[in-house]
Formats: sequence, C-alpha cells, structure tokens
Amino acid sequence: MFRWLSEFLPFARNYIVFTLLVALSLFLISLNNNRQVRNLQVVGTLTTSYLESGVQDVVGYFQLASVNRELEKANARLINMLARTRRAINENRQLKEMLNLKQQSSVPLIAAGVVGRVTDGGKNFVTINVGTKDGIQEGEPVMSGSGLVGTIYLAGEDFSIVRTLMDNSSRISARVVNDSTDGIVTAGEQGALELKDVSRRHHVRPGNIVETSTLSSISPPGIIIGTVTSASNRPGSIFKEVTLEPAVDFSSLSDVFVMKYRPSGKAAALESRALREKR
Amino acid sequence: MTRRIATYVVLGILAIVVQKFFDDFASISSISPELVILFVVFVTLREGQMVGMEAGFVTGFLNDILSTHFLGFTSFIAVVASFVAGFFYKEADVDLTGRTLNYVWICAIALFVSEFVSIPIVSAGELNYWYVFLKFTVGETVYTALLAMVVVFVNGRKSRYV
Repeated sequence: MFRWLSEFLPFARNYIVFTLLVALSLFLISLNNNRQVRNLQVVGTLTTSYLESGVQDVVGYFQLASVNRELEKANARLINMLARTRRAINENRQLKEMLNLKQQSSVPLIAAGVVGRVTDGGKNFVTINVGTKDGIQEGEPVMSGSGLVGTIYLAGEDFSIVRTLMDNSSRISARVVNDSTDGIVTAGEQGALELKDVSRRHHVRPGNIVETSTLSSISPPGIIIGTVTSASNRPGSIFKEVTLEPAVDFSSLSDVFVMKYRPSGKAAALESRALREKR
Repeated sequence: MTRRIATYVVLGILAIVVQKFFDDFASISSISPELVILFVVFVTLREGQMVGMEAGFVTGFLNDILSTHFLGFTSFIAVVASFVAGFFYKEADVDLTGRTLNYVWICAIALFVSEFVSIPIVSAGELNYWYVFLKFTVGETVYTALLAMVVVFVNGRKSRYV
C-alpha cells in the first residue's frame, strides 16, 4: 500500500495540487457574502484607487487637447445662445414699452418692424415693413417705446423709409421739460443729438429731459427725445451749446410705431390768414 | 534563482496593476484582456505546471483583493489556465517562451478552457449561458490573444525567432 502510494503521489502530484487549489478557489468564492471578505476587498479597492487616480490624471493630461476642443465648441454654442437670449430680452423690453405706449397713446398707432438700415454720409434712415397699403403717409412721426425715432421720409406701397433723428437733415422742434425752453433738435456728433437755438439766459442742466414741443408741426408734443448730457455757453454766441443723449437706441431698433398724427389744419390756416392781413 | 523569483514577483504585480488600468480604460463592452492569465501562462511555460498553478493562485487572489471581482474567481481561472498551459510545458523551449506564436495559441487555449469551465460561476443562474460564452469566453479569449500577439512581437523583435 505504502509502495503504491509512493509511486502514485509523484505521478499525481500536479493533479492533487490542482484539485486542492481549485477547491480553495471555490471555497473563497463561496465566502463572498462574508462581511470580513467584503471588508478585505474594500481595503484593497481603496488602496488601488490612489493608483487609479494617478493613472487617470495622466490619461486626463493626454485627453486635454480633445477636451479643450469640445469646450471650445460648447463655448461657441453658448455664446451664440447668449447673443440670441440678449436679442430676445432686448426685443421683449422694446415690445413691453411699445405695448405700454400703445395703451397710453391718444394718437392711433401702427406697429411696424424695422427691416433695414442706411447710414451713409450723414444720412440715417431705417426701413420699416409698413407702407401706404397700411395707411402710412409721408411726414408722419415714428416712435419706439423709448421715444421719438424720426419721421416718414418716403412711403412705398409695402415699405417706408424713416428719417431718424440722427440724420443730418432732421429738424424737430423740442423743449426742455423743466425749463420750458424751446429749441431745434438736430443730429450731433458721435451718436449724440444737439439742441440748438437755446438762449443763453435759460438754465439748461445735464439730466434735463428734452421732448417734442407744442410748437412742432411734425409730431405731437410730449414725446421724449433724449436727456441733456452737457450745456455750455460759447463765447461770442447768443445761444447755448446743448448736447443730448438720444432716448432711443438706434443701433438695436427692431420694432416701432407710426403715429397717425396730423397737426391741426385750422391753426395753420389761422396763422396764414394773420400773416396775409398784416401785409 | 532569487533574481528570477524577484522578476516574476515584479511582473506579477505589474500584471495586476496594469490589469486594473485595462479594466478601466481598455475594456470594450466590459470585456478586457486578462493580463494575469498572460503572466500565469508565461510562468507555467517557463517553470512548469506546479509552479504555474501556485503562481496563478497567488496572483489571482491578489488581483481579486485589489478589484471588485468575486474573491477567488481570478484564482480559479488562473489555476485552471496554468494547469492547461502546463501540458504544453517543454523544458527545451523555456527560453523561447513569449517570443514565438506558440505563446499566443497556448494562452488562447488556456484562457478559453478556464473561462469555459467558469461559465456556471459567472452565470450564477441569472445570465444566459450562450451570452456568457460568446461575450466572456470567446470575447476575452480573442482580446487576450491579440494582446499576447503584441507581447510576442515586441518581445520577439529582440531575437530572431519571430
């Protein structure tokens, strides 16, 4: 028996070890629900997590270029979205102002969208998408929720051209609200307006609001034109130099109203009659 | 001898560490190459079946502790793989281990057999046998064999055997 064993064991040694190791492995597998075994694995996993973190840092370093490209794309998308959101906010503000204006105005208003702009050699026009078909006539005042924009210069069938206050040929009769000083608003330099023919004796100060005058034959009185930014006396001149900041942001104008305003014909006729009788 | 053992220890630790890396970054549909098996087959082909099985058990056990596998699962696979690989052990070819394409197909056979016999453990009555067979047995065998081929080509360039 012993002899047989001594012959068999060297021959079957590998098989016996194999069986033992497989049995041990299966025994370990059966212990997997054991809490201590789980704890052992948790400790092992935590230990290697430091190593993994280091490896991930290295891998992350090599992925930086592609991540950067993705971020740049995302950034471009977000900038585009931001621009659209800003435009929407601006449009929303303008529409709210216009709605408010329409509810308060005693003059009939025709809503229009700005579809084009022309700024060349002192000319400053905007094109709006309403025309004679909509009842638009030349000379009618145009305003936005912020203030006076200009007047209808040309009225086509479907579109009209508005001469804005920034046009060199624009002349609007205006007055300073706090002082009842009258003057003529014309285009100034660098996006500003000027209030001309204001006597030196009037006290015009920065911050004063300027609006359309009761003397205006173009627009109804009380429409805001702008705010005084500077007022000074020029040596040798009987008039003040008054600069205004326009109430309307002409660069972002998107929606306007055409005012169906016509000055009283009776007053004009009476003035003509007086002049004739005087002669 | 001591130097050789030290080399195996370093290679074994390296295999476990890189295995973690492969599991995280090189797995395809949760299939990753079994570096531990490549190491165990390598040791078996150089040192024989007995040493291979012992090395397989220890390396597999360490690998299971450092990962979220079933404790004992990699030991089981590694022991079976080294047992199978042991039948291809030839003392005369020891120096060529890992340098000829023999290493690739021995690795593939050893891993295929070990993965195949582990199907009942992996399935555990929940997964479809065929699914496990195709995904893990065949998938891991192919992926590991490809990696073994890389090892052979890199290693073999140093000699004239490939």
